Amino acid sequence: MAGRDDRWGQLLSAAQAGDGAAYREFLTDVTPFVRAIARGRLWGEDGVEDVVQDVLLTVHRVRHTYQPGRPVAPWLAAIVARRSIDNLRKRGRRAARETHDPMAYETFAEPDANNSESDDDAKQLARMMDALSPRQKEALKLVKLKEMSLAEASAVSGQTVASLKVNIHRAIKRMRLAAEQDGAE
Amino acid sequence: MTNRPTNRPTDQLIDLLSSNVKPVAPLAPPLARAGVTLAVMILMSGVAFALLRESNPLQSREAADAGLIGLEMLAMLATGILAVTAAFFLSVPGRSRNWLGAPLVPFGAWLLLSGTGCFRDMLRTSSAGWQLGHSADCLMFIVVFSLLLGAPLVWRLSRAAPIDPLPVAALGGLGTAALAAFLLHFFHPFAVTFIDLAFHVAAITIVIALAALFKRPMLRPA
Repeated sequence: MAGRDDRWGQLLSAAQAGDGAAYREFLTDVTPFVRAIARGRLWGEDGVEDVVQDVLLTVHRVRHTYQPGRPVAPWLAAIVARRSIDNLRKRGRRAARETHDPMAYETFAEPDANNSESDDDAKQLARMMDALSPRQKEALKLVKLKEMSLAEASAVSGQTVASLKVNIHRAIKRMRLAAEQDGAE
Repeated sequence: MTNRPTNRPTDQLIDLLSSNVKPVAPLAPPLARAGVTLAVMILMSGVAFALLRESNPLQSREAADAGLIGLEMLAMLATGILAVTAAFFLSVPGRSRNWLGAPLVPFGAWLLLSGTGCFRDMLRTSSAGWQLGHSADCLMFIVVFSLLLGAPLVWRLSRAAPIDPLPVAALGGLGTAALAAFLLHFFHPFAVTFIDLAFHVAAITIVIALAALFKRPMLRPA
């Protein structure tokens, strides 16, 4: 262990002097050591590689704090411990504000197999469209589904621009109401 | 060839870091850095004392309390020196966490000695020990001088980009507040009452809280 630490100390001192090859050798050599400590601190593989990369970036930022002649392992272990704690805290914060949705991961190559609820959604949309007047339906279809400009939609449908705007607004309002009623049932 | 597990992003990061490495000057040992910084802080305190001094207020305090006041000031100075030194040790990775407790003994002694002084004063002057003296001025003095004395300390500590900035900031805050309180005694011609002591403690707490609150912009942690 002392031999290993001496070697790391020499490589890191050379890196402080700007020796890129020694620095590469140092970072490559210490990575398994960093990974092993991170694995112990995080109780598993999850997030280990993130911590390893965070540690390498931190080592780069604070390499001037290594005092030549002192052991490298405690210096490095303290950085790994800190970054592991940061990683666990980050995970805790994420878990507190995000919800796990198992369906989100069920993605298949065949689009139809992706979402068993898509048929229900299409039927619900059709039901809501049925509740609209023909002019509202036409305005919504041209502007929102076919993505025409108001002027183009006006030319195609014969409705004025103002009338199109009013019909789209009322259509969306009515559909929202229908969706809320569906949800309440 | 080594048998280490290959991980592309990590290997790429190593390539990137090692190809962009620039020479850096290693930081001096924490004790040396603390010594230089404390010398600057004490010099600043000396200049402030020389500029603001009117007479020697310590002489106007009760002669019977001279020993107690001396011990109290020694405890303040020890708290300041040990807290600042501990902050430098904890600003670099891998140093003993025991440094966190280093200033606690003199800090405890300081509060105990101050409390004893207040108690003696209260016995001597009946209810005067509970009276509100120049407490608000003391609070302002400690906070303002902590900010002034803290400037070189923050600059020197930030050079280490501490990976765990909270204990470094808290110790730095305690150190500067203790040194400011030490300096305050030279401008404190009246005995400390319990209310004064509570204000002194409040001032120290404010300084530590400010240091903890602004630890990131001040210390620029890695």
